Amino acid sequence: MWQQVHSALSQSAHRVLFKLASFLPGLLALLVAVIVLALVGAALAAMLRRILVSAKFDERMARNSTDALSDWSPSGSPTLLVARIVFWACVILGFIIGISAFDASSNGSQISTFLLPYLTHSVGAIVLLILGNLIARFLERSVLIGAVNARLQYARFLSLGIKWLVLVLTAAMVLDHLEIGGAIVELAFGILFGGIVLTLALAVGLGSREMVSRSLEKNVERTDPGAATEPPAASEPLRHF
Amino acid sequence: MASIPTHIDAAAQQTAAITTGSLLVSLPPLPDGSFDTMLASLAAAFPTETVLVATPAAAPNGTTHATPGNIHLVPYTPAATSTTNWVLTAADYLNTFKGAGETQASACLLLGAECQSLTPEAIRALAASVTGSNADLAVARYNLGPREGLFNSAILYPLTRALFCVRSRYPLAIDLGLSLRMAERLAAASQKFISTNQSDALLWPCIEAACANYAIAEVDVGSRVLPQPAAADLNTLLAQIGSSLFAEVDARAAFWQRARGAQPSLSVDLSAALTESPDIAPMLDAFHLAYANLHEIWSLVLPPNSLLGLKRLSVTPANSFNMPDGLWARIVYDFALAYRLRTINRGHLLGALTPLYLAWVASHLVLTGNGTPPEKHIQDLASAFEADKPYLVSRWRWPDRFNP
Repeated sequence: MWQQVHSALSQSAHRVLFKLASFLPGLLALLVAVIVLALVGAALAAMLRRILVSAKFDERMARNSTDALSDWSPSGSPTLLVARIVFWACVILGFIIGISAFDASSNGSQISTFLLPYLTHSVGAIVLLILGNLIARFLERSVLIGAVNARLQYARFLSLGIKWLVLVLTAAMVLDHLEIGGAIVELAFGILFGGIVLTLALAVGLGSREMVSRSLEKNVERTDPGAATEPPAASEPLRHF
Repeated sequence: MASIPTHIDAAAQQTAAITTGSLLVSLPPLPDGSFDTMLASLAAAFPTETVLVATPAAAPNGTTHATPGNIHLVPYTPAATSTTNWVLTAADYLNTFKGAGETQASACLLLGAECQSLTPEAIRALAASVTGSNADLAVARYNLGPREGLFNSAILYPLTRALFCVRSRYPLAIDLGLSLRMAERLAAASQKFISTNQSDALLWPCIEAACANYAIAEVDVGSRVLPQPAAADLNTLLAQIGSSLFAEVDARAAFWQRARGAQPSLSVDLSAALTESPDIAPMLDAFHLAYANLHEIWSLVLPPNSLLGLKRLSVTPANSFNMPDGLWARIVYDFALAYRLRTINRGHLLGALTPLYLAWVASHLVLTGNGTPPEKHIQDLASAFEADKPYLVSRWRWPDRFNP
């Protein structure tokens, strides 16, 4: 009896040690692949940054008035943006190579066939999330400033509505991309999105009816020739230019 | 080396050839009646000198114009075209220089839209500044009413004067006298914009001249009908001009951080005053609405001290509404810095400046309505910009330093 228990325990320990021994090289290969590719990425990014700085890439982009690229760049520098994209692309490549190596070293395991598609989906979801947040913030400010300059009293409400519309849309896209929630996400998104749009429409259409008509009347007045002038308060109008 | 393509019509080349060394007057497209008036003014301004008149429509609608013997029409095909006519653009400078090069003129007069309202004396004075004296750039100084050219008075003039030590009252004047080398410099600057398909881009001749260490003369041209922008609203125009000026400030930082002293300016008329108080309520409403909504965005650009000043201003009653000159100077400087640092999107930045500008206009009108001569307030404002220039230089060099 005791011998049988001892034999079973030693066989289990042997199997565990065997699995560990076959698992560790794969893990090591994954780590090495990630570290090496990260180092390669850092070197490439540094080299690229140096080349772009010497080529005055930022100045050229600024001169060509491509504000969009600069606005999305860290510290307003397109050079830094390009360098970081290269670095993170290398890191992701390292992960992909590492997982493949891990898969090859562990016999019979199909981790890569499960992990690789999910990894690429996760990267896509992260990119979507970042872009969605940036676009939401950009549109929020655009609408807020535009509405304030158009003298709409409900400017903040409008900008918040736009911001949450984009954020809800982004969240739904991210969850859909990760295949989480299935039909529930679609349903919830439809309800939320429709709800926000309906709320905005009701608020603007009914609650602020008079304000909208006043704003429109002012806009019509402003489309007169010599539009850069204030409405004539006295006999002589103001001329800003 | 490839030669510059000729853009003057063949029929006019013979005329141009016999008038080498003359003054070239570059006119915008003018309707028939205005064109005749302009030719008469030129004839009165230059009774004996030979003058070349370059215009893209020298004979509008195919009609023939009777010109005195010393006035020669030089019709040309523009090398670049611009859709903006209320201000001089890159296309205008390039066309003028090409015209001057091909007619071998000795100096140029570049006149803007509605130039038929200029007096012959004013035209002559502008020309004399670049032909008779050592000036490379003659800038017109207009006699505007107290409610005109407010954006120029609020930002363009004080900022140009403080940073570049140029005292021209209208840095974006649309009537200029140019020496050949000045025209060449402006054409070179224009070419950069035109090559990127931006023929409507604004140039800053005073800043170009100051950076090249060229002499600038200011010429009092008296009253003149100033063309107004056609359809764009205040926000768009303010963003267009403000953006161009801030970009120029950014590009010329190495120059203006060293610039000291100032050129002498013409004496100013401090007697003109407002006869009646305009309605400032819409402007104050715009400011109050913006204060309630844009505070978060302003706080990204302005230091706490300026925000405190705006807070005080937001609770000030309309009849005593007064934005201190120092506060306005700080606001403009901080926005220029934020433009350079791209603290927020540049379109948003200039949009957020509009209500603050309207607050300054309201304050200016209240002040002048209370008896202060408008020109005195503008000169005081320009002095405040000059006094605060070290602040901008310091923040430009060390933007991350603590700034209360």
